[in-house]
Amino acid sequence: MLRLIRTEMTKQVLRPRTWVALGFLVIVPVIIAVALKLNPPDLSGNGEGPRYFYLATQSGLFLPVAALRVTSAFFLVVIICMFAGDAIASEAGWGNLRYLLMRPVGRGRLLTAKLIVAAIFAVVATALVALSGLVAGVIAFGWHSVTIPFIGLSQSPSQILGHLGLATLLITWGLAGIIAFAFMLSTMTDSAAGAIFGAVGLYIVSLILGEITSLGAIRYGLPVHYYDSWSDLFVRNTFTDDMWRSVLLQIPYVIVFCGIAWWWFHRKDITS
Amino acid sequence: MSGDAVVAVRALTKRYGRVQAVAGLDFEVHRGEVCGLLGPNGAGKTTALRMLVGLIRPTAGEARLFDREVRPGAPELARVGAMIEQAAFVPHLSGLRNLRLYWEAGGAPWAEADLDGALAVAGLGSAIERRVKTYSQGMRQRLGLARVLLGRPELLLLDEPTNGLDPQEMRAVRELLRRLSDHGATVLLSSHLLAEIEQICSHVVVMDKGQLVTAGTVSDLLSVNTSAYFEVDDVETARRVLTAAPGVVRVTDETRGLSVELDGTTRAALVVSLVQAGVAVETVTARHQLEDAFLGLVGRHTERHVGKGA
Repeated sequence: MLRLIRTEMTKQVLRPRTWVALGFLVIVPVIIAVALKLNPPDLSGNGEGPRYFYLATQSGLFLPVAALRVTSAFFLVVIICMFAGDAIASEAGWGNLRYLLMRPVGRGRLLTAKLIVAAIFAVVATALVALSGLVAGVIAFGWHSVTIPFIGLSQSPSQILGHLGLATLLITWGLAGIIAFAFMLSTMTDSAAGAIFGAVGLYIVSLILGEITSLGAIRYGLPVHYYDSWSDLFVRNTFTDDMWRSVLLQIPYVIVFCGIAWWWFHRKDITS
Repeated sequence: MSGDAVVAVRALTKRYGRVQAVAGLDFEVHRGEVCGLLGPNGAGKTTALRMLVGLIRPTAGEARLFDREVRPGAPELARVGAMIEQAAFVPHLSGLRNLRLYWEAGGAPWAEADLDGALAVAGLGSAIERRVKTYSQGMRQRLGLARVLLGRPELLLLDEPTNGLDPQEMRAVRELLRRLSDHGATVLLSSHLLAEIEQICSHVVVMDKGQLVTAGTVSDLLSVNTSAYFEVDDVETARRVLTAAPGVVRVTDETRGLSVELDGTTRAALVVSLVQAGVAVETVTARHQLEDAFLGLVGRHTERHVGKGA
């Protein structure tokens, strides 16, 4: 199994598109840092965005939080869906899937290896935003404790770094249902783009439905309803109930979508 | 299944909705045989090959390799080198990297792949280090053949292996398959090139409309129907003599000579008849023998099929 994971990892690592996608995720925090340095925000802006940007200028340690906040809304979702949606569909599109499956490689093993590699790259993508933001932020704005105005919450550098690590995992896991959906679609089509945009579509539809209050409690079951709750780590300094809900909510989605993917792929006639 | 059958297909059937791709197919390929799988487009050859390597699940019947029923990912597949339809690769990786990942995905150490032997077949030189997306169709096909040969498999399943190759490369592949067969490998290959099958194969399986038309040795098949081509100085007289000769089924005019379908006579006997009639014979060749036999068999199968339908 390890050998199979390694071969799948090699394919992904040596793919130019992987480096382009990850490169963009590294560049975005750097651009944010440069922009904030050249044109520092004040607290007059509305919404959470400007406040995160303001805090980033108070301590470089907060810049990765702002960068995660900006990218996790859409860009990071697309990149992560790309890794998952690509997994099987790309091989099928190249015509290489049949050659993989003509080896003594069980379909379940191949799926597991592909899913593990997609999950690793999802974590790496999120971590890169945090890491790039941290480096750019510290260079631009220094390494300080942060005191959040209005609520007077103060966090030490070590607390922020711990929260950053946890936030990276929460953001990635918060998309686990979407990732599993992209993976499921990937087993059903030879078009990687179809699988990727299908999953991004589910994310967008979930966000839209989440805004319709008339749907009542149904909204709480949407896969990304609690996705943003990770930011409470930085403004409340605690693991909130919504974070737990975000973690637990993904489990049935992952089980169902991965289960369908497994069932479908085992029954599928490989004709591409 | 007889004892040394490497490939055994029993009542193998595949349906896609109302379309019957393969219908009750039966045949065996024994150790050391080079067997050609013949059939017109849509005969079900590729579907049958896909079922043999577990890519497609049969609707009914079974496909067996090395006396074990084939299922996806079966351990027996480690003993098989297969190329189904066009050779396909991960385009952003080099030829060498593709070979290595293919081999290692099966769980075997790279050192056991006999890379040198495979690379000698590919003949790609330094291009083996280039990304596959820069390869021509012929280069991909050669790399595909190299991949098939990794680890010296006991059974080769090849679907149109010489597609995209130039005549020199095609000859090299034919010689390679003969060598492999001499060393005990079993080969099942489908091809549209009947002359190629005739040169390489000891056995043939003929399919049409998903069904088995016939299976046996190439010589058995050729004895069903042979033909000869004559170039003479007096075509009119030659046509009259040949048409009247015993054992001649049909005489057909061609651009420069006559094509004669034989059943029970020989080319030598016909030459004697022509010479005795005062016709000078410039050229006599046995030609397209397998092609004639194949077309005859498939034609008769189609007539029966249409007859049943009517």
